[in-house]
Amino acid sequence: MWLSVLGLLLGISLGLLTDMQIPPEYADYLSIAVLASLDTLFGGIRAHLQHMYDDKVFVSGFFFNIVLAAGLAFLGVHLGVDLYLAAIFAFGVRLFQNIAVIRRLLLAKWTNKKEARESLG
Amino acid sequence: MKNLHRNNRSKFSKSIIFSLVFLVLGFMFSYSYSLSKSQERSSEFTGGAYFEQEEQYRKELIEQQERNKSLREELEEKQAAIQEFEQSFSEGESRNTDYAEEAEELRRVLGLLPVEGSGLTVTLQDGEYNSDSVNPNDYIVHESHVFQVINELYISGAEAISINGQRIHANSHIVCTGPVIAVDGVQHPAPFTIAAIGKPDVLASSIKLSGGVMDQLVNDNVVVTLDEGQVISMPAFLTET
Repeated sequence: MWLSVLGLLLGISLGLLTDMQIPPEYADYLSIAVLASLDTLFGGIRAHLQHMYDDKVFVSGFFFNIVLAAGLAFLGVHLGVDLYLAAIFAFGVRLFQNIAVIRRLLLAKWTNKKEARESLG
Repeated sequence: MKNLHRNNRSKFSKSIIFSLVFLVLGFMFSYSYSLSKSQERSSEFTGGAYFEQEEQYRKELIEQQERNKSLREELEEKQAAIQEFEQSFSEGESRNTDYAEEAEELRRVLGLLPVEGSGLTVTLQDGEYNSDSVNPNDYIVHESHVFQVINELYISGAEAISINGQRIHANSHIVCTGPVIAVDGVQHPAPFTIAAIGKPDVLASSIKLSGGVMDQLVNDNVVVTLDEGQVISMPAFLTET
Protein backbone atom coordinates (compact mmCIF):
# COMPACT_ATOMS: atom_id res chain seq x y z
CA MET A 1 0.00 0.00 0.00
CA TRP A 2 2.67 2.46 1.02
CA LEU A 3 4.78 1.37 -1.88
CA SER A 4 1.93 2.21 -4.26
CA VAL A 5 1.59 5.71 -2.79
CA LEU A 6 5.32 6.12 -3.07
CA GLY A 7 5.15 5.05 -6.72
CA LEU A 8 2.35 7.53 -7.37
CA LEU A 9 4.28 10.38 -5.80
CA LEU A 10 7.41 9.41 -7.67
CA GLY A 11 5.48 9.30 -10.93
CA ILE A 12 3.91 12.70 -10.33
CA SER A 13 7.20 14.32 -9.44
CA LEU A 14 8.88 12.69 -12.44
CA GLY A 15 6.16 13.97 -14.76
CA LEU A 16 6.38 17.48 -13.35
CA LEU A 17 10.13 17.56 -13.50
CA THR A 18 10.34 16.20 -17.03
CA ASP A 19 11.22 19.09 -19.26
CA MET A 20 10.86 17.02 -22.40
CA GLN A 21 8.82 18.72 -25.10
CA ILE A 22 6.77 16.64 -27.48
CA PRO A 23 5.15 17.90 -30.65
CA PRO A 24 1.55 19.09 -30.14
CA GLU A 25 0.13 16.43 -32.46
CA TYR A 26 1.33 13.76 -30.04
CA ALA A 27 -0.31 15.45 -27.06
CA ASP A 28 -3.63 13.94 -28.22
CA TYR A 29 -2.25 10.45 -27.74
CA LEU A 30 -1.24 11.30 -24.21
CA SER A 31 -4.70 12.63 -23.36
CA ILE A 32 -6.29 9.45 -24.68
CA ALA A 33 -3.84 7.35 -22.71
CA VAL A 34 -4.74 9.34 -19.59
CA LEU A 35 -8.40 8.67 -20.24
CA ALA A 36 -7.77 4.96 -20.73
CA SER A 37 -5.79 4.72 -17.50
CA LEU A 38 -8.52 6.55 -15.61
CA ASP A 39 -11.08 4.15 -17.01
CA THR A 40 -9.05 1.15 -15.96
CA LEU A 41 -8.49 2.59 -12.50
CA PHE A 42 -12.18 3.11 -11.83
CA GLY A 43 -12.94 -0.28 -13.37
CA GLY A 44 -10.57 -1.81 -10.89
CA ILE A 45 -12.18 0.00 -7.98
CA ARG A 46 -15.62 -1.16 -9.10
CA ALA A 47 -14.42 -4.75 -9.47
CA HIS A 48 -12.95 -4.57 -5.99
CA LEU A 49 -16.25 -3.37 -4.57
CA GLN A 50 -18.09 -6.12 -6.42
CA HIS A 51 -15.65 -8.72 -5.08
CA MET A 52 -14.58 -9.86 -8.53
CA TYR A 53 -11.26 -8.07 -8.64
CA ASP A 54 -8.28 -9.78 -10.34
CA ASP A 55 -4.72 -8.45 -10.34
CA LYS A 56 -3.88 -9.81 -13.76
CA VAL A 57 -6.95 -8.36 -15.39
CA PHE A 58 -6.34 -4.98 -13.77
CA VAL A 59 -2.64 -4.67 -14.62
CA SER A 60 -2.93 -6.07 -18.13
CA GLY A 61 -6.00 -3.93 -18.76
CA PHE A 62 -4.21 -0.86 -17.52
CA PHE A 63 -1.28 -1.14 -19.90
CA PHE A 64 -3.18 -2.70 -22.76
CA ASN A 65 -5.87 -0.02 -22.76
CA ILE A 66 -3.30 2.72 -22.80
CA VAL A 67 -1.44 1.20 -25.70
CA LEU A 68 -4.63 0.38 -27.54
CA ALA A 69 -6.03 3.87 -27.18
CA ALA A 70 -2.83 5.51 -28.30
CA GLY A 71 -2.47 3.06 -31.17
CA LEU A 72 -6.04 3.66 -32.27
CA ALA A 73 -5.49 7.39 -32.27
CA PHE A 74 -2.29 6.95 -34.22
CA LEU A 75 -4.03 4.80 -36.78
CA GLY A 76 -6.86 7.31 -37.03
CA VAL A 77 -4.48 10.17 -37.72
CA HIS A 78 -2.82 8.23 -40.48
CA LEU A 79 -6.07 6.97 -42.00
CA GLY A 80 -7.73 10.35 -41.88
CA VAL A 81 -10.48 9.01 -39.60
CA ASP A 82 -10.92 10.52 -36.15
CA LEU A 83 -10.61 7.20 -34.37
CA TYR A 84 -9.50 8.88 -31.17
CA LEU A 85 -13.07 10.11 -30.89
CA ALA A 86 -14.17 6.48 -30.69
CA ALA A 87 -11.65 5.86 -27.92
CA ILE A 88 -12.71 8.97 -26.05
CA PHE A 89 -16.36 8.03 -26.43
CA ALA A 90 -15.91 4.43 -25.32
CA PHE A 91 -13.69 5.27 -22.38
CA GLY A 92 -15.83 8.24 -21.39
CA VAL A 93 -19.02 6.15 -21.31
CA ARG A 94 -17.32 3.38 -19.40
CA LEU A 95 -15.85 5.87 -16.96
CA PHE A 96 -19.25 7.29 -16.16
CA GLN A 97 -20.76 3.82 -15.87
CA ASN A 98 -18.01 2.67 -13.55
CA ILE A 99 -18.35 5.74 -11.39
CA ALA A 100 -22.12 5.30 -11.27
CA VAL A 101 -21.73 1.65 -10.24
CA ILE A 102 -19.20 2.63 -7.57
CA ARG A 103 -21.55 5.29 -6.26
CA ARG A 104 -24.44 2.86 -6.05
CA LEU A 105 -22.36 0.21 -4.37
CA LEU A 106 -21.05 2.66 -1.83
CA LEU A 107 -24.54 3.97 -1.26
CA ALA A 108 -25.90 0.46 -0.81
CA LYS A 109 -23.07 -0.38 1.56
CA TRP A 110 -23.73 2.74 3.60
CA THR A 111 -27.46 2.14 3.84
CA ASN A 112 -26.83 -1.52 4.73
CA LYS A 113 -24.48 -0.47 7.51
CA LYS A 114 -26.92 2.10 8.75
CA GLU A 115 -29.79 -0.40 8.75
CA ALA A 116 -27.64 -2.98 10.48
CA ARG A 117 -26.68 -0.48 13.16
CA GLU A 118 -30.30 0.62 13.60
CA SER A 119 -31.50 -2.97 13.82
CA LEU A 120 -28.68 -3.66 16.24
CA GLY A 121 -29.52 -0.61 18.21
CA MET B 1 4.53 -20.94 8.22
CA LYS B 2 5.60 -21.66 4.66
CA ASN B 3 2.22 -20.73 3.38
CA LEU B 4 2.35 -17.45 5.21
CA HIS B 5 5.74 -16.73 3.74
CA ARG B 6 4.46 -17.33 0.24
CA ASN B 7 1.51 -15.13 0.92
CA ASN B 8 3.80 -12.36 2.11
CA ARG B 9 5.92 -12.69 -0.95
CA SER B 10 3.01 -12.59 -3.36
CA LYS B 11 1.69 -9.56 -1.50
CA PHE B 12 5.05 -7.89 -1.91
CA SER B 13 5.19 -8.58 -5.63
CA LYS B 14 1.62 -7.38 -5.97
CA SER B 15 2.46 -4.11 -4.29
CA ILE B 16 5.50 -3.78 -6.57
CA ILE B 17 3.25 -4.15 -9.58
CA PHE B 18 0.80 -1.67 -8.14
CA SER B 19 3.50 0.84 -7.45
CA LEU B 20 4.62 0.47 -11.05
CA VAL B 21 1.05 1.03 -12.24
CA PHE B 22 0.68 4.08 -10.07
CA LEU B 23 4.02 5.38 -11.15
CA VAL B 24 2.92 5.26 -14.74
CA LEU B 25 -0.41 6.78 -13.82
CA GLY B 26 1.14 9.62 -11.88
CA PHE B 27 3.68 10.26 -14.56
CA MET B 28 1.06 10.45 -17.26
CA PHE B 29 -1.20 12.73 -15.27
CA SER B 30 1.44 15.15 -14.23
CA TYR B 31 3.13 15.11 -17.60
CA SER B 32 -0.03 15.88 -19.50
CA TYR B 33 -0.75 18.57 -16.94
CA SER B 34 2.59 20.23 -17.42
CA LEU B 35 2.31 19.78 -21.18
CA SER B 36 -1.06 21.52 -21.41
CA LYS B 37 0.32 24.26 -19.19
CA SER B 38 3.29 24.82 -21.45
CA GLN B 39 1.03 24.78 -24.50
CA GLU B 40 -1.06 27.50 -22.93
CA ARG B 41 2.06 29.50 -22.41
CA SER B 42 3.14 28.97 -25.99
CA SER B 43 -0.27 30.00 -27.27
CA GLU B 44 0.08 33.14 -25.18
CA PHE B 45 3.46 33.61 -26.74
CA THR B 46 2.01 33.40 -30.23
CA GLY B 47 -0.25 36.32 -29.42
CA GLY B 48 1.86 39.43 -29.05
CA ALA B 49 5.41 38.33 -29.26
CA TYR B 50 4.86 36.61 -32.58
CA PHE B 51 4.09 39.85 -34.36
CA GLU B 52 6.92 41.54 -32.57
CA GLN B 53 9.29 38.87 -33.77
CA GLU B 54 7.92 39.08 -37.28
CA GLU B 55 8.45 42.80 -37.21
CA GLN B 56 11.98 42.28 -36.07
CA TYR B 57 12.65 39.74 -38.80
CA ARG B 58 11.21 42.09 -41.35
CA LYS B 59 13.45 44.84 -40.12
CA GLU B 60 16.47 42.57 -40.34
CA LEU B 61 15.45 41.54 -43.82
CA ILE B 62 15.19 45.15 -44.91
CA GLU B 63 18.56 45.87 -43.40
CA GLN B 64 20.06 42.95 -45.24
CA GLN B 65 18.49 44.04 -48.48
CA GLU B 66 19.82 47.55 -48.07
CA ARG B 67 23.22 46.19 -47.33
CA ASN B 68 22.99 43.97 -50.40
CA LYS B 69 22.05 46.96 -52.48
CA SER B 70 24.98 49.01 -51.26
CA LEU B 71 27.30 46.10 -51.77
CA ARG B 72 26.00 45.62 -55.29
CA GLU B 73 26.63 49.27 -56.01
CA GLU B 74 30.12 48.93 -54.67
CA LEU B 75 30.64 45.87 -56.80
CA GLU B 76 29.49 47.72 -59.90
CA GLU B 77 31.81 50.58 -59.10
CA LYS B 78 34.73 48.23 -58.69
CA GLN B 79 33.89 46.42 -61.89
CA ALA B 80 33.79 49.70 -63.75
CA ALA B 81 37.17 50.60 -62.26
CA ILE B 82 38.54 47.25 -63.34
CA GLN B 83 37.19 47.76 -66.83
CA GLU B 84 38.77 51.18 -67.03
CA PHE B 85 42.02 49.79 -65.79
CA GLU B 86 41.91 46.95 -68.28
CA GLN B 87 41.20 49.36 -71.09
CA SER B 88 44.09 51.58 -70.14
CA PHE B 89 46.20 48.48 -69.75
CA SER B 90 45.37 47.26 -73.23
CA GLU B 91 46.02 50.72 -74.59
CA GLY B 92 49.33 50.73 -72.84
CA GLU B 93 50.03 47.31 -74.23
CA SER B 94 49.36 48.41 -77.78
CA ARG B 95 51.51 51.45 -77.12
CA ASN B 96 54.17 49.14 -75.80
CA THR B 97 54.05 47.05 -78.94
CA ASP B 98 54.30 50.27 -80.93
CA TYR B 99 57.29 51.24 -78.88
CA ALA B 100 58.84 47.83 -79.35
CA GLU B 101 58.34 48.00 -83.08
CA GLU B 102 59.78 51.48 -83.16
CA ALA B 103 62.73 50.36 -81.11
CA GLU B 104 63.34 47.49 -83.47
CA GLU B 105 63.06 49.82 -86.42
CA LEU B 106 65.55 52.18 -84.82
CA ARG B 107 67.88 49.32 -84.04
CA ARG B 108 67.68 48.21 -87.62
CA VAL B 109 68.57 51.72 -88.72
CA LEU B 110 71.38 51.91 -86.20
CA GLY B 111 72.74 48.65 -87.49
CA LEU B 112 72.30 46.71 -84.30
CA LEU B 113 70.26 44.05 -86.06
CA PRO B 114 70.93 42.06 -89.19
CA VAL B 115 68.62 43.24 -91.96
CA GLU B 116 67.45 41.92 -95.26
CA GLY B 117 65.66 43.58 -98.10
CA SER B 118 65.69 44.64 -101.71
CA GLY B 119 68.15 47.34 -102.66
CA LEU B 120 71.04 48.30 -104.82
CA THR B 121 74.67 47.26 -104.92
CA VAL B 122 77.23 49.60 -106.37
CA THR B 123 80.58 48.08 -107.20
CA LEU B 124 83.53 50.44 -107.53
CA GLN B 125 86.50 49.02 -109.27
CA ASP B 126 89.88 50.51 -110.04
CA GLY B 127 90.28 51.66 -113.58
CA GLU B 128 92.54 49.75 -115.93
CA TYR B 129 96.13 50.67 -115.97
CA ASN B 130 96.64 53.62 -118.23
CA SER B 131 100.09 54.17 -119.52
CA ASP B 132 99.26 57.82 -120.32
CA SER B 133 98.76 58.81 -116.77
CA VAL B 134 101.74 59.13 -114.53
CA ASN B 135 99.92 59.14 -111.28
CA PRO B 136 98.25 55.88 -110.29
CA ASN B 137 95.95 57.92 -108.03
CA ASP B 138 94.12 58.96 -111.18
CA TYR B 139 92.61 55.56 -111.73
CA ILE B 140 92.24 53.95 -108.36
CA VAL B 141 89.20 54.22 -106.10
CA HIS B 142 89.64 56.65 -103.25
CA GLU B 143 87.75 56.97 -100.04
CA SER B 144 86.18 60.15 -101.36
CA HIS B 145 84.50 58.12 -104.06
CA VAL B 146 83.16 55.76 -101.51
CA PHE B 147 82.00 58.72 -99.42
CA GLN B 148 80.23 60.20 -102.38
CA VAL B 149 78.42 57.02 -103.14
CA ILE B 150 77.45 56.45 -99.55
CA ASN B 151 76.23 59.99 -99.06
CA GLU B 152 74.25 59.86 -102.27
CA LEU B 153 72.69 56.61 -101.21
CA TYR B 154 71.78 57.95 -97.78
CA ILE B 155 70.36 61.12 -99.30
CA SER B 156 68.19 59.13 -101.66
CA GLY B 157 66.69 57.14 -98.83
CA ALA B 158 68.88 54.12 -98.19
CA GLU B 159 68.02 52.51 -94.89
CA ALA B 160 71.14 50.44 -94.40
CA ILE B 161 74.50 50.40 -96.15
CA SER B 162 77.38 48.01 -96.03
CA ILE B 163 80.79 47.97 -97.68
CA ASN B 164 82.02 44.55 -98.69
CA GLY B 165 79.58 43.07 -96.24
CA GLN B 166 80.59 45.35 -93.35
CA ARG B 167 77.79 47.39 -91.99
CA ILE B 168 78.09 51.16 -91.87
CA HIS B 169 76.60 52.91 -88.87
CA ALA B 170 76.31 56.46 -87.66
CA ASN B 171 79.78 56.58 -86.17
CA SER B 172 81.57 54.65 -88.91
CA HIS B 173 84.79 56.09 -90.17
CA ILE B 174 86.29 55.40 -93.52
CA VAL B 175 89.99 56.06 -93.93
CA CYS B 176 92.14 55.69 -96.99
CA THR B 177 95.30 53.88 -96.13
CA GLY B 178 97.30 53.63 -99.34
CA PRO B 179 95.76 51.19 -101.80
CA VAL B 180 93.16 49.98 -99.31
CA ILE B 181 90.32 51.56 -97.41
CA ALA B 182 89.81 50.96 -93.73
CA VAL B 183 86.21 50.91 -92.63
CA ASP B 184 86.06 51.11 -88.84
CA GLY B 185 89.58 49.82 -88.78
CA VAL B 186 88.92 46.84 -91.03
CA GLN B 187 90.84 47.04 -94.26
CA HIS B 188 89.10 46.40 -97.55
CA PRO B 189 90.83 46.18 -100.92
CA ALA B 190 89.26 47.13 -104.21
CA PRO B 191 86.77 46.34 -105.63
CA PHE B 192 84.34 47.84 -103.17
CA THR B 193 80.82 46.52 -103.16
CA ILE B 194 78.55 49.06 -101.53
CA ALA B 195 75.19 47.56 -100.80
CA ALA B 196 72.21 49.70 -99.82
CA ILE B 197 68.79 48.62 -98.79
CA GLY B 198 66.04 50.89 -99.97
CA LYS B 199 63.98 51.46 -103.08
CA PRO B 200 66.21 50.08 -105.85
CA ASP B 201 64.89 52.27 -108.64
CA VAL B 202 65.13 55.45 -106.59
CA LEU B 203 68.66 54.63 -105.48
CA ALA B 204 69.77 53.71 -108.99
CA SER B 205 68.30 56.76 -110.63
CA SER B 206 69.83 59.05 -108.01
CA ILE B 207 73.21 57.49 -108.63
CA LYS B 208 72.74 57.79 -112.38
CA LEU B 209 71.75 61.45 -112.35
CA SER B 210 73.55 63.28 -115.10
CA GLY B 211 76.41 65.22 -113.55
CA GLY B 212 75.85 63.21 -110.46
CA VAL B 213 77.88 60.68 -108.61
CA MET B 214 78.21 58.17 -111.40
CA ASP B 215 79.44 60.68 -113.91
CA GLN B 216 82.01 62.01 -111.50
CA LEU B 217 83.23 58.52 -110.75
CA VAL B 218 83.48 57.68 -114.38
CA ASN B 219 85.39 60.91 -114.85
CA ASP B 220 87.81 59.71 -112.22
CA ASN B 221 88.32 56.51 -114.18
CA VAL B 222 86.44 54.36 -111.70
CA VAL B 223 84.56 51.42 -113.06
CA VAL B 224 81.04 51.53 -111.59
CA THR B 225 78.67 48.61 -111.77
CA LEU B 226 75.11 48.90 -110.57
CA ASP B 227 73.14 45.84 -109.65
CA GLU B 228 69.61 46.54 -108.55
CA GLY B 229 66.66 44.53 -107.52
CA GLN B 230 68.31 41.73 -105.64
CA VAL B 231 67.65 40.80 -102.06
CA ILE B 232 70.48 41.97 -99.87
CA SER B 233 71.08 40.70 -96.39
CA MET B 234 73.41 42.51 -94.02
CA PRO B 235 74.81 41.47 -90.71
CA ALA B 236 74.66 43.63 -87.64
CA PHE B 237 77.71 45.79 -87.37
CA LEU B 238 78.83 44.29 -84.12
CA THR B 239 79.07 40.80 -85.52
CA GLU B 240 82.43 39.68 -86.74
CA THR B 241 82.49 39.02 -90.46
